[in-house]
Amino acid sequence: MSAVAAVGGSRRTRLRYITERRGFLATLLISPAVLFILALVGVPLVLAVYLSFTDAQAGSLSGRWVGLANFRHAVHDPIFRGALWHTFLFTAISQVVVILCAGLIAHAFIRKFRGRWALRFFILLPWAAPIALTAIGFLWFYDPQASIFNWFLVKLHIVGASHVPNWLGTPKAAMSSIITVQAWRTIPFAVVIFLAGISSIPQEVDDAAAIDGATGVRKFWYVSLPLQLPIAMVAVLFGIVFTATDMIVPFILTNGGPFNSTQVLTTYAFQTGINAGNIGEGAAVALFMLPVLALVVIGMLVFARRAEVT
Amino acid sequence: MSDVKDEPRKEERRLSRRELLKRAGAGAAAAGAAGATAPFSFAGPMRFKNRLLKGDLSIIQWVHFVPAYDDWFDNTWVKQWGEKNDVQVNVEHINNTLLDTRAAAEVAAQSGHDLFFNLHPMASYEDQVINHAPVIKEIERKVGKYGALAKASTYNPKTKKYFAVSDNYVPDPVIWRHDLWNGIGEAPFTWDHVRKAAPKLKAIGHPIGIGQSQELDSNMALLAFMMCFGSFVQNDANRPTLNTKNTIQAVNFMTDIYKNGEDPAIFGWNPASNNNYLYAGTASLILNAISATRTPEAQNLPFSKDLWIWPIPHGPHGRLGLEHVMGCYNIWKFSQNKENAQQFLVDLCVNYKQATMASQLYNFPSFPGAFPFTQIRKAAAADKNKPNGKYTILTTIAEKYTHNIGYPGTTNAAMDEVFSKYLIPQMFAQVSQGKMSAADSVKSINSQVKEIYAKWKARGKI
Amino acid sequence: MKSGWRYNAFSYTVAIPFAIVLAFPFVWMAVTSFKPEAQVYDPTKVWSFHPTLANYGFLFHHTDYLRWIRNSCFVGLLVVLITLLVAMPAGYALARLSGRVGRSMGVGIFLTYLVPPTLLFLPLSRVIAQYLHLSDRLWALVVVYPSFTIPFAIWLLMGFFKTIPQELEDAALIDGCSRLGSLVRIVFPISIPGILTVVIFTFSLVVNEFVYAITFISSSTNRTLTVGVPTDLIRGDLFNWPGIMAAILIPSIPLALVYNAFLNRFIAGFTGGAFR
Repeated sequence: MSAVAAVGGSRRTRLRYITERRGFLATLLISPAVLFILALVGVPLVLAVYLSFTDAQAGSLSGRWVGLANFRHAVHDPIFRGALWHTFLFTAISQVVVILCAGLIAHAFIRKFRGRWALRFFILLPWAAPIALTAIGFLWFYDPQASIFNWFLVKLHIVGASHVPNWLGTPKAAMSSIITVQAWRTIPFAVVIFLAGISSIPQEVDDAAAIDGATGVRKFWYVSLPLQLPIAMVAVLFGIVFTATDMIVPFILTNGGPFNSTQVLTTYAFQTGINAGNIGEGAAVALFMLPVLALVVIGMLVFARRAEVT
Repeated sequence: MSDVKDEPRKEERRLSRRELLKRAGAGAAAAGAAGATAPFSFAGPMRFKNRLLKGDLSIIQWVHFVPAYDDWFDNTWVKQWGEKNDVQVNVEHINNTLLDTRAAAEVAAQSGHDLFFNLHPMASYEDQVINHAPVIKEIERKVGKYGALAKASTYNPKTKKYFAVSDNYVPDPVIWRHDLWNGIGEAPFTWDHVRKAAPKLKAIGHPIGIGQSQELDSNMALLAFMMCFGSFVQNDANRPTLNTKNTIQAVNFMTDIYKNGEDPAIFGWNPASNNNYLYAGTASLILNAISATRTPEAQNLPFSKDLWIWPIPHGPHGRLGLEHVMGCYNIWKFSQNKENAQQFLVDLCVNYKQATMASQLYNFPSFPGAFPFTQIRKAAAADKNKPNGKYTILTTIAEKYTHNIGYPGTTNAAMDEVFSKYLIPQMFAQVSQGKMSAADSVKSINSQVKEIYAKWKARGKI
Repeated sequence: MKSGWRYNAFSYTVAIPFAIVLAFPFVWMAVTSFKPEAQVYDPTKVWSFHPTLANYGFLFHHTDYLRWIRNSCFVGLLVVLITLLVAMPAGYALARLSGRVGRSMGVGIFLTYLVPPTLLFLPLSRVIAQYLHLSDRLWALVVVYPSFTIPFAIWLLMGFFKTIPQELEDAALIDGCSRLGSLVRIVFPISIPGILTVVIFTFSLVVNEFVYAITFISSSTNRTLTVGVPTDLIRGDLFNWPGIMAAILIPSIPLALVYNAFLNRFIAGFTGGAFR
């Protein structure tokens, strides 16, 4: 090997020298990704920020400068304030449900047992199916006439036939419906991430814990949980980010819901910017989340780093 | 309905005319060399023999509720027109709820389809489209005046610009179960009759089905309902006039109907829901286009002959209805094939009789001269579905009881925004669900409406 | 260490109910897909009806369903390829070579997801139409999708590369291999499980996407699955419920099977494949 390295023209050795330098190689390897993201996310983002300061209309990408008027208008808009609150509720509750359920499921699936493959298949289904289609499917499940959930509720005598919940028609029920669907489709994703995290804990830790006499719940609380915290944090972060910026579930199921009671920032931005043609305002609404989410993300990552054991 | 496009067409859509001719030239040379054809057969796709292609035309429109219409449009009308005019026409269909998104995307991209169709006049896109006056004048020359309804919907009196050409509109009747109403000895002549009948109908398990959701049908129904009470979003000078006693009265009236005669399900509906409510046999009355009667006929539902079509019930202010949807084509400023697009529109509107028949009387022509009401009535009378002649009432509704969104003013960008933000269903639903009083609800919605109008006035569009 | 039967009991108690809850919608989808369309609203025929294959037949013969699937696969596979090509070097670099810079770039990864595509699609559509001339072509999606698959892939791969002990590469370096060579010859083969993971997640992100697909593609023949179904199976007022249910089931089951199959290798990778 070294013979090969030594032989070869001065040009080759110079090239090799360059690629040996850490910084250069790192930059070389990262740059395609950075360029891609700058071009396809950064540039449109800058444009969106610009649009939020204008009164652009109807798909046009330019307009008169209006400064903070769009943001001010949004803050005074009761629908917007509601959307802000609903986004928080929608994200927080669905992700709490996801973390709890996914954590539980992941622990159940860690070790082999008979039927694990089949059960895992069923658990993966909600995430494997394209969400835009399953959301339409849930329109059917929640259909006021033919909802299968209502059918079960009535058959099991939990509610009378004339008192079946109107899943998409009353504010509280509609909110819980979209939270349920979002949790339903995110749980498998989180399970997979958790499984990865749990299995990355080296065997030695288990052995050491056993030697020290920590078993069962104590082991879980003092040993496993801290080790899994980083991966849990990441799962939570991705879950929060994907949920807060995703439009599909509320859009298809309720389109803002019984008089705006399930309006979230993304759907409101869409309604304002696209349906009503108010691009500037829509951009302002959509961008409102950005600083908030950024703070949340950074805060959680810092916390995760401090808690990291390895 | 699903277009099976020939492979060559897909590629060539992107070629410029010069490129196409260049390619065709090579083909012709080969053909000439084979001695097979006459000297002037420049026919790249070998489609239009002996003629030069004059360009293309791309159209996007909704997936029509009546599959037969799309079938006629794509496979008969467009083909014939394309051959006659030597134009390669390409039609795309997408779901009507996605048309707004596409419009915004095409404008943002400054590239898209030459002819863009939507189910409502896109007033806010006025600056992005050409002035369609020449098209309308040309059609008027051939079949007579643009209908008043269509003109009020597609003309901006402030800027004197036609921002779209409406080819059709769809009248919006009430569709009610004659057997059920007969059973309780009532009929929906007036809204008062409806209010009286509602509790009785609900008691026998067949509530009224007028939605109060964030969707198209609710929007239309409630706006029309308001008009029957003399409550209007704007006046004929396009100034907002929502906060009036009539509006409060209308809201209270509908709340009454809801409380006594409707199901809470109406707050979570999508455009299909009132139809499904009817098809399931539950609803005793809905406001919808005749799609709601055609489907039961097609599916042989047991009560399909008991579905009667009547005009909107009479209110204290009169019998005023809206169109259910209005088909509007517009041509973007950045379109590459404006002449072809304009010619297509002219020919389509002039020959609209074929379209109306192909849509099973769903589409009514916006230029009434193309298919006069008397003739439509005859065609409707020939419809075989029971009770005989039920569809003839559509012409009466179209003639007398159909107004534009924003009546008595014109359909403008501000009205469009009020419509797209579903402010009216919200105004009603808040009260029906007991969240606030009618006066408060109307007041709060009115302030939002006023803001929207102020904004568009500042832009010089109203 | 949990004892055998107690752990199994725990597993079954958790796994079975969750499996039922998560998968039941698909069971009901399957039932609906075999119902004749006129009976879907019939309350007397909820579970007892004459099953029919008509809806599946409709999907395959009267819509462009197969073509949409083909389009989705085409876009998915290409995007996976591009994502791998771009994210693997970047993930490696961030895991190994950049220290503190790497950590803050890691944060940057999350930040790219904070921008909702609900409005991003407008400026992007101008880029696609005017500068790239890819309007209504599947290539538009192939170009745009990596923008949201790459950051996540980088994060995944960072995690993987971190579990590969530095000693392996150092050994290769001592043997005279160049850094680049050690990357290609030693690290990448071990990270096959990581690559498979990226494949799964990327493909799932692509298949779930809706806004860009509806914006950039209009012709029926170029539609992907998520766009074709709402368009052709929902005609204005009418939802073809059985057809829609069938359309959802057909891709979901194979995808879930594939993901399930890859999952084992994915997990094996996280436990440090070099030593197992």
